[in-house]
Amino acid sequence: MAITLYDFELSGNCYKLRLLMSILKLRYDIVPVDFYPGRQHKADWFLRLNPFGQLPVLKDDDLTLSDSGAILAYLARKYDDTGLWFPDDPAITAEVLRWHAVADDITSTASAARLALGFFYDFDVAKAQKGAHRIFRLMDEHLWFGEREGRDWLCGPAHPTTADIACFPYVMLSEEGGISRQDYPALRRWTDRVRRIPGFTVMSGVFPAGRALEEA
Amino acid sequence: MTLSLSDPTWYPIASSEDLPYRHVYQGQLLGRELAVWRADDGNVNVWENRCLHRGVRLSIGINEGGELKCQYHGWRYANRSAGCTYIPAHPADAPARRIQNRTYPVREAYGLIWSSANDQQAFRPFAGAEGHDWFALRPMPVNAAPEDVLAALVGLAPDDQPADLLPGLAVRFGGTYYFVQPVDAGRAVIRGLLRERPADPVAALRHYNELLSKLRDRLERSASRKPAPEPLQPAYDKVSADLATMPDIAIPRGNTVTVVVKRKWTSADGVIGFELAARDGHLPTFQPGAHIDLHLPNGMTRQYSITNGPGELMSYIIGVKQESASKGGSKVLVETVREGDLLSISEPRNNFPLRRDATRTVLIAGGIGITPLLSMARFLDKSALPYELHYFTRAGETTAFRSELEALHGKVIFHTGLPRSEIGTTIAAALGQWSMAQHVYVCGPGPMLETVRATATAQGWPDESIHFEYFKNDKIIDSSSSFDVELARSAMTLHVPSGKSIMEVMREAGLTVPSSCEQGACGTCLTTVIEGEVDHQDVYLNDSEKRANSCMMTCVSRAKSARLVLDI
Repeated sequence: MAITLYDFELSGNCYKLRLLMSILKLRYDIVPVDFYPGRQHKADWFLRLNPFGQLPVLKDDDLTLSDSGAILAYLARKYDDTGLWFPDDPAITAEVLRWHAVADDITSTASAARLALGFFYDFDVAKAQKGAHRIFRLMDEHLWFGEREGRDWLCGPAHPTTADIACFPYVMLSEEGGISRQDYPALRRWTDRVRRIPGFTVMSGVFPAGRALEEA
Repeated sequence: MTLSLSDPTWYPIASSEDLPYRHVYQGQLLGRELAVWRADDGNVNVWENRCLHRGVRLSIGINEGGELKCQYHGWRYANRSAGCTYIPAHPADAPARRIQNRTYPVREAYGLIWSSANDQQAFRPFAGAEGHDWFALRPMPVNAAPEDVLAALVGLAPDDQPADLLPGLAVRFGGTYYFVQPVDAGRAVIRGLLRERPADPVAALRHYNELLSKLRDRLERSASRKPAPEPLQPAYDKVSADLATMPDIAIPRGNTVTVVVKRKWTSADGVIGFELAARDGHLPTFQPGAHIDLHLPNGMTRQYSITNGPGELMSYIIGVKQESASKGGSKVLVETVREGDLLSISEPRNNFPLRRDATRTVLIAGGIGITPLLSMARFLDKSALPYELHYFTRAGETTAFRSELEALHGKVIFHTGLPRSEIGTTIAAALGQWSMAQHVYVCGPGPMLETVRATATAQGWPDESIHFEYFKNDKIIDSSSSFDVELARSAMTLHVPSGKSIMEVMREAGLTVPSSCEQGACGTCLTTVIEGEVDHQDVYLNDSEKRANSCMMTCVSRAKSARLVLDI
């Protein structure tokens, strides 16, 4: 097995894969892609890998994959011996994929606002921020009731899944897009829990959490 | 109604459930952002959400249980006082000045955390608060003016149950109470309380959540049709240059604090523990290694190390050795001071600061010298930093603070009743060869200190890596010399005759000179030397500091040259 990640260091979508591979203790090579300012993800050589012109791309031997959510599912199914990260259960699979879709909505809102403010993309910042707040409100409510009902993660199982990995980066980076998380206390507490998953790793703008009391 | 930055009303700012251990909650009241965190002792801290150093939000910092660490440059602030306990850019120094974050009043009651913009009003429970098992609803943030939110809540009242307006943006109907937290001019949080815990709590929470979500949507639709109110503009005080730089020496503060002896107990054979509690609120910030001056009923002053861990400011715990050769200090404490007595102490001072950037920290204690090292071990323990604590005692019965030491997670080794010949080899083995970023801290009887210093030096430990604190100066002071001191800043030249100290001569000349132990052990009278050769007789400075000839202790040290010029 030889995994290669086509990666941009500041991309939250690439970080999702680095995060899961760190948790699963997978070794991989990195090919840096200059997303900004080089726009290499629109270069011919990259479009041959992914005609949609989006990061990340992951190669596993001869297999070439794109879309962060799809790759998370692939890595979990193939390399997670515990079967916990993408559980083989119809109802839970549906639940996880539902949140993968939310993760894409977070990308099109919170990440878009960050690209506009930090990478000079010509996006409607106010609209992107408003869209992110709408999603964060729903996530906060979902996670707040989860705490009351004994559920710590986005999906039903008593452990995190790829749904949590997929939604985490652009929630955590939202302030770079001018989106405060002050009104979402349960969402903030969930980011503490994600950051305490064994094998967690950081990226620029994502800070580590301290240890939980029970680990202290 | 216009919101005022100086409104003294207490408002709820969070639910108790919002503050699990080791989390930092981000809040806001009347335009001021807040970092809110619960320490491991349960205490809730409400601080300005801004590190004094570079203004970064403390709500992204790390709650370590007793201290909050800023995510940016690692400045640490203590539970309760918000005083700075450590600055990583100055690892060898104690942050001696009053670097203290802005704190706000706080009270945890009825399932909510309450705070106010200032301390002009004492906390008063709302009418009918007492005697119920309050149940907090899910808080509902609303992007609308707080007064509009209150008006809308009043409109929720059923026809047969008129709304009862309470002071402080609150309304009640029947057993349902709503408090409006004025976040800013155009933002609020609705915090609901039910007087009784419902039979099906989750169903009730969902019901009220739906009701308030609809109310929020209505309010936000109507707010979006109006011009947004101007946000409140709280003023943030600039950090003074005085606070942002480290002092060259630890300047004694001279303030005293009255404490009550809350507990007095026998910790070990010949060692009495004293718990000295604040009469009101908490005691001042201290750092590991710090000591207090205790002013005894007989007029004497003695120094005792604080044994506490991080953020433990409700009382200081000290250990006092009942020495037969006592000059009367510990004897008075042990024999006449009782629980309930009042004592006067100085603010904590730290001549024995602990670095928290070492790859290996070795703590070596002899007898009562365990006290500052217990505090150090507790700080390192809380931050999960590695350390080894070697505690030498004559016999098991004289091992003080044993249960406290056994509660630690680090490597704690008790060396009990070793013959003199084995102490040296045990110390040598405990130290090992020095390598980068290793530090040893030693506190104990004079001969033991000398052994550790000599052994460490022989095994390659540089002076900067050997840290010690003398409780007393056993050396015989030679005061036979006579010389002149020129006080540069006071524009005065004094003659110091044999038999008198520089300090005594300065006092006779009318100068105020800070001092504490007056035997060259505590560092209080440290003075900068401008010219002349010093005859060091103290045990406070280490050998390289003495060789540098740049500072001295005026209580015992003298001149080898005919004239000394001091920066006084």
